[in-house]
Amino acid sequence: MSVNLTSSLLMWRSATYYWRTNIAVVLGVAAAVSVLSGALLVGDSVRGSLRDIAVGRLGRTDHVISSSGFFGDALARDIHNASPDVSTTPLIVATGFVTHEASSRRAAGVVVYGVDQRFWTFHGLPDRPGVLLSPPLASELGAAVGDTLLLRVQKPSAIPVESLFGRKDEVARTVRLTATAILPSEQLGEFSIRPQQSEIRALFVPLPRIQRDLGIADRVNTVLASGADDESLAATIRQVVTLEDLSATVAVNDPPAIVVESSAGIVSDSLFTAATDAGSAIRAEPIPVFTYLANTIRKGDRQIPYSLVTATSLERAALGPPSSIGGNQSADAIVLNDWAARELQAVPGDEVALDYFLWDAAAGLTSHSAAFRVAAIVPIAGFAADRRLAPQYPGITAANSLADWDPPFPVDLSRVRPQDEAYWKAYRTTPKAFINYERGREMWKTRYGAATSVRFAVPEGTDAGAVANRLREAMRPLLQPQASGLTIAAARRDALAASEGATDFGAYFTYFSFFIVASALLLALLFFRLGIEQRLRPIGIMRASGFTIAQIRTLLVAEALVLAAAGSALGTLAAIAYGQLMVYGLRTWWVGAVGTTRLTLHPSAVSLVLGASAGIVTAIVCVTVSLRAVARLSPRALLHAQAIDHERSIAAPTRRLTIVKWICAGAAAVMLVAGFTGVGSRTGLFFGAAAALLAAAMCQLSSSLRARESMAITTRARWPLWRLGFRSAASRPSRSVLSAALIAASAFIIVSVDAFRRGSEFSNDPHSGTGGFALLAESEVPLLASPNDATGRETLVLNAPDFSRIRFTRFRVRPGQDASCLNLYRPTTPTIVAPERGFIEGRRFSFAASMAATDAERANPWLLLRRQGTEAVPVIADATSLEYVLHASVGDTFSMDVGSDKPVVLQFVGALSDSILQGELVMSEESFTRLFPAVQGYRFFLIEDPAVHDQGAADRLAGTLERELAPFGFDAVSAAERLAAFHRVENTYLSTFQMLGGLGLLLGTIGLSAIMFRNVLERRRELALLRAVGFTTGHVSTVIVAEAAGLIGVGLLTGAGCAVLAVAPAWLSRGGTRPGIGLLILLVAVAIAGVVSSLIATRAALRGGVLDALAAE
Amino acid sequence: MLIATDIRKSYQTPRGPLEILSGISLTLSRGEAIAITGPSGSGKSTLLYILGALEPPTSGSVTLDSASPFELNERQQAAFRNRHIGFVFQDHSLLPQCSVLENVLAPTLAAVLDGKEQARDHEGRARQLLEEVGLGSRLDHRPGELSGGEKQRAAVARALILNPSVLLCDEPTGNLDRTSAAAVAELLLKLHAERRTILITVTHSAALAERFATRYEMDSGRLR
Repeated sequence: MSVNLTSSLLMWRSATYYWRTNIAVVLGVAAAVSVLSGALLVGDSVRGSLRDIAVGRLGRTDHVISSSGFFGDALARDIHNASPDVSTTPLIVATGFVTHEASSRRAAGVVVYGVDQRFWTFHGLPDRPGVLLSPPLASELGAAVGDTLLLRVQKPSAIPVESLFGRKDEVARTVRLTATAILPSEQLGEFSIRPQQSEIRALFVPLPRIQRDLGIADRVNTVLASGADDESLAATIRQVVTLEDLSATVAVNDPPAIVVESSAGIVSDSLFTAATDAGSAIRAEPIPVFTYLANTIRKGDRQIPYSLVTATSLERAALGPPSSIGGNQSADAIVLNDWAARELQAVPGDEVALDYFLWDAAAGLTSHSAAFRVAAIVPIAGFAADRRLAPQYPGITAANSLADWDPPFPVDLSRVRPQDEAYWKAYRTTPKAFINYERGREMWKTRYGAATSVRFAVPEGTDAGAVANRLREAMRPLLQPQASGLTIAAARRDALAASEGATDFGAYFTYFSFFIVASALLLALLFFRLGIEQRLRPIGIMRASGFTIAQIRTLLVAEALVLAAAGSALGTLAAIAYGQLMVYGLRTWWVGAVGTTRLTLHPSAVSLVLGASAGIVTAIVCVTVSLRAVARLSPRALLHAQAIDHERSIAAPTRRLTIVKWICAGAAAVMLVAGFTGVGSRTGLFFGAAAALLAAAMCQLSSSLRARESMAITTRARWPLWRLGFRSAASRPSRSVLSAALIAASAFIIVSVDAFRRGSEFSNDPHSGTGGFALLAESEVPLLASPNDATGRETLVLNAPDFSRIRFTRFRVRPGQDASCLNLYRPTTPTIVAPERGFIEGRRFSFAASMAATDAERANPWLLLRRQGTEAVPVIADATSLEYVLHASVGDTFSMDVGSDKPVVLQFVGALSDSILQGELVMSEESFTRLFPAVQGYRFFLIEDPAVHDQGAADRLAGTLERELAPFGFDAVSAAERLAAFHRVENTYLSTFQMLGGLGLLLGTIGLSAIMFRNVLERRRELALLRAVGFTTGHVSTVIVAEAAGLIGVGLLTGAGCAVLAVAPAWLSRGGTRPGIGLLILLVAVAIAGVVSSLIATRAALRGGVLDALAAE
Repeated sequence: MLIATDIRKSYQTPRGPLEILSGISLTLSRGEAIAITGPSGSGKSTLLYILGALEPPTSGSVTLDSASPFELNERQQAAFRNRHIGFVFQDHSLLPQCSVLENVLAPTLAAVLDGKEQARDHEGRARQLLEEVGLGSRLDHRPGELSGGEKQRAAVARALILNPSVLLCDEPTGNLDRTSAAAVAELLLKLHAERRTILITVTHSAALAERFATRYEMDSGRLR
């Protein structure tokens, strides 16, 4: 038999010969790799599941074209005709609340889709006529097929409701429906164009039905598109979109003039600009027109009620004789038609006053007056006879008489005289007076616009129709769809991007699993060192035979590499099981952290390879570091030593250990002081101080174990057996310190994390997380009247006298994505809310940080919302959302696509401390109405009631308000409960961390037992000697268990003690819960488990007779 | 020639330095064999480790054919031991995971790894050595399958595989019964005579010591 002894053969022989220890090393590495790769798989799985949920709910949708208003449903067809590769379908998307008539159960925030057969064809599904419910909605309502449902949705209004002419009393419509089927999720029952992990409560209603009920025939507000890219779709839309789709009309008037108007009754600034620029392009001079209703035109004691007045360019409209031109230019010039002049007996030069209403969301309806001087009197002819100068006002324009008027504001019809009715009959909406455009703009401008039309004169002999067409063609490219509220969202791409998640679960679970990984690797290292210690003599003879330290290290590292590779391979297989277990946990025990049960495992080769590689590299690094101790031993020491650090154990405590100890202790003290004084990040200080304290404690333990005990163990010594046991730990200080460190680190995590749990208690403190508010509420239909005054309460039919003491703080809402920890998707367009006037001065909530620079701002950081001078719009967010969801900090900017031609840049000027406003960004009302003029009314409320002092009273108040404001889809929740929901997410993360930390602790304890078993085997002869000289088995067991108990006790006390000290600053400031009795029980259980398992190991190792042990080699 | 000059060795203890060797000088030529006896703890093994470049002296020098191993770096020292020194220890220190033949070949692997030698056929020489020590039929057996005497004979063969100049034996028969001890002693002296190595043996055994023409006794750190 020939043999070729190579280093590979020698390495392989060693690996297989010492298989018992090596199996333990492989298993340790396998455990570490399985946990590490498994943690990464969790991240992949969460991302993959979010992706599946979002994409699954989109069907075949790639892009969503939507509008704040309504446009013709032919747009979908026109897009497809222009780009045949692009599939489209029109639909209506709205939110409403649904009542199950039979049981009165209600569901708010229901997504309502008005669809027809085109929708189902678009998604490749069979036509589903009728009223369909998503399974979650059916479940919440307890609804079945055939049941009657009452759907209440906001009624569309072309005229802004927050304007004088917007109808405020009919803002919603109730539709009675009969449920036809419950649509399974797999068949788009939970269709959603916005990604969210929670269940979708959706209602599909036949499109013609909803169009009829809402009075918007042939109009929709959404088109889904598939098969297009962003640029080509945008180009196609610009090509096919009509002015009517953008709420603009260009009509030929009689007398000849081209009139550009809006269906909103007011021309927006963007439409005004497009019309005037287009007019310039075709060399037509624009005449701005702003027609308004004057409640009274007065001169002295003579007055005319309810007259339309037009503000325009008096010169361009040629109102008045040329001689009056100079007078016509002045701001107080007014030109009366001859009828009005007659009624007022006014002549040029007379003073005339106009009384008119303005409507403001905060102030409501207010009356104003303006003074003028008559500049001219014109006949009712030409421009002055044009009744089309006034837009179409529902309830006014079509009325046959003034008595038939039904305006959305109060009118005193008793003031109407016969001559007024006669005028109306003859001239209808023909204005009775004209003022300069700039003056009218100043008086009547709103955020919606400053003109009711733009006119262009048609020169005599010119074809007005041709001019109108030229104007239309010139306007189309100038009128950007986005500027008119028509937006294009790349829904699929946005959903995929959002699926990356706000929370990196892979990273979180890696952190959570850190101690398991560390425990497993340390165990592997411990067993590897044990293996080394077994062969110190053979290593010694190899040194004696001429092997260099480097050659021996290479052989051992090669062996470790083989073991690590085997462990990694095994661990990779186990990682899938661990990942599956963690995903199962997220669906069940920890569902509070994710809010969905739809997570599934998504194995990723990259994560598995990464985990395996990290396991191998980490194991090799640990082994290489530990071999340095072997390298330091002389060949003689190798030939005689029983443990790697046996020699060092008899040396005096090293100076290096002492220096490191004091440095760590000093660093810990500095960080604790900083924590108490609030300098720097408390979280970072907490971890830093704890780590430093633990390191200092372990250095002290190491020093103590290496120091020689001054008192000898004699019969007169106290606790001699226990001290003998503790002395045993000192014989292998590195092994003992490693074991204790493992237990200390795990105990630290379990104790410290528990201190960060947050409870939720009712609080009236205005500086608390609830801001002192009892309730937080939303309405599906905006409340246009204020519930804070008697008039508003009367309008809202809030009749109970109790309501007079309840204060509603109202917020405007631009719906978007939830920015709180309840949303797993990464929000790109968070919900924005804007409080009404008065809130900012109220100084509610507390701030964790802000950009306050002045004393006033420092006293009240809410004032930062009014900062001007920069392009970025200031917003305030909750600190938790800012850090963990938006991944930003105070001072950072955030670019948000709001569908306009360029994104809005927001700047975080403040961060609220643990507030109920985690899901929203708060903006000033001024900024909000400027950026989002189409958003009407208030739909978000913070409610306080001085009579509410506890949770029960808050819940009762919520029920009362929901009943009283049911027509508005009012949904109220206790502010404390909202905060508790956020805390539940945080507490779930903490529980996960604790559970995995506990696993690490258990692993460490089991590992310690294995070490004890090994120790006892090594010392069998000396222990047998003790028995030979008269110690009982019980005495010997006490010595062994004392060693284990000592290490476990030091580990638990050090870990728990460091944790309590280090979390004190954070606990005091955050008001977290104290570690409870459950935690104490856990730690005691771990200690008992460790001691018992050591006892079992001892008994197993001491089996057999004394003689056998003494004779054993 | 092995020359040791004024070798001193002391160890640091918590209670101050402990002097083990107090100035030992020795000169041995090839073919010479000595036995060193003395009570336990007298420093016999310490002297052996210093002479074998396993441990440096506190002061003094050791040269072998004018080469001083303690002036070499660690790698050169290892090569020095590999080439010039053979060790036989009381507990044989065979590699339990290797066969008898592989154990004898172990020092040759160190030489190959160091690049000092090509991987040539040392196997024939190892087989021959094992024949000479009476283990020709146990080549593929593991140390666990050998008796104490057989393990020690394998250790002797390992010590001689690279034809060292010096053969150092630390209680080579300490763990053996009288018959095995006599056989191992006979073997050592026979191989030493054939190869004209410098043989230094540390032993408690009077019977073994008597077989050496030159005997020293270690007393209070000095050789007498």
